[in-house]
Amino acid sequence: MTECALATDEQQNMRLKTLLAATARKDAAAFRSLYDATSAKLFAFALRILIKRELAEEALQESFVNIWIHASGYQSGLAAPMTWMTTIVRNKAFDLLRRQDDNVEIDADIFDKEVMEALESASPTPFEALQMSGDAKALARCLSALEGLHRQAIALAFYHDLSHSEVAGQMKLPMGTVKTWIRRGLEKLRKCLSGGERA
Amino acid sequence: MNLQQIRNNAALREKLASEYVLGTLRGGARRRFEGWLEEDAALRRTVAEWQDRLTPMAEFAPVARPSPQVWQAIESELKLKPRRSFWMGLREDLAFWRGLGMASTAAAAVLATVLLTRLPTPEAPIADYVAMLADDKAQPVMLITGDARRRELTVRVLAPPPVAPDKSLELWAVPKEGAPRSLGLVAADGTVTLPLAENATPESAPVLAISLEPKGGSPNRNAPTGPILYKGAWLKT
Repeated sequence: MTECALATDEQQNMRLKTLLAATARKDAAAFRSLYDATSAKLFAFALRILIKRELAEEALQESFVNIWIHASGYQSGLAAPMTWMTTIVRNKAFDLLRRQDDNVEIDADIFDKEVMEALESASPTPFEALQMSGDAKALARCLSALEGLHRQAIALAFYHDLSHSEVAGQMKLPMGTVKTWIRRGLEKLRKCLSGGERA
Repeated sequence: MNLQQIRNNAALREKLASEYVLGTLRGGARRRFEGWLEEDAALRRTVAEWQDRLTPMAEFAPVARPSPQVWQAIESELKLKPRRSFWMGLREDLAFWRGLGMASTAAAAVLATVLLTRLPTPEAPIADYVAMLADDKAQPVMLITGDARRRELTVRVLAPPPVAPDKSLELWAVPKEGAPRSLGLVAADGTVTLPLAENATPESAPVLAISLEPKGGSPNRNAPTGPILYKGAWLKT
């Protein structure tokens, strides 16, 4: 990660914080700017979870209604603004997912194919194609340092709202094994992201 | 496991916070954890750190654009542009503009009566501008005249409308472009004289309108908050 990228991320963070603060004061123009700055990424994430466009759009719409209503509850000293908004989108998308009659196809393989290949490649280009933030690139590097199955177990839980036993069912492995892998994987991620074992 | 036990166990706190954020902490364990969160600010911070660590996984997907209808739905659900829809709507109200010719004829007739019943003297107000405000059934409700020299508006109520005691009627100049401008409050009966602002002449504001507002008028000087009750073309005589 270059210093330039860091500075840009920090600027983007500051900008989003400012927009969220204005949104909390019910500034509709700032809210529109916030939407313009974040909706493509948040929509992509909702689409990743829900697969169907119309469902992802519903999740996005309901999320932004929540963001407008609860913006004053955002604590800038805690999580980053994008983290806060993404968490809202994730919860909304999972709500919609639970309301679906037919199960959305689970695609842990896509995660590994599309993203992990890009991560393991030395070229920065795939990152730029995904328009990832510096945080996401760092996380991707740390994830790529995990064993493939540990990574897959974490991704299944993160994107598909699966419990330990559901992840175990998907991976056809004993639940105890999956629990241990997820715990170790998360612990490794924490160390890696704090700079100790950056891949 | 209770709050005291987890307070002193850093490794356990990290494990629970990480699985809470990942989503694998379920059922009773999740609810207990949420209970501890309310009482433990440091634990909330640990959770926020895990959110910052794991949430960027959301970015591992090619950027995709939602359709423009999504923003429109958000905007309409949250009623983000009531004032815009008011005066934009007023300007785009074709029926209203088609009726304008008729309204000005009616206004001219009323004006003629006004002028005939009060012989102009040098001190008397001169009606340089006139508007007849009508309700949505085209019934005339108020006659407004403007005196350019004295910079005064006179609002005469022809048919006193029912107005609740906790409400006020507010007069607006609607310009060709930009936000409407409040001209002041109007009594539900009788006659009121208001200052005529420079940018409230028919040249810059071709429409006058009355909105129903909370007692004392709209909290926003540049936008009505209540419904538009009466409107009419603002004309130079």
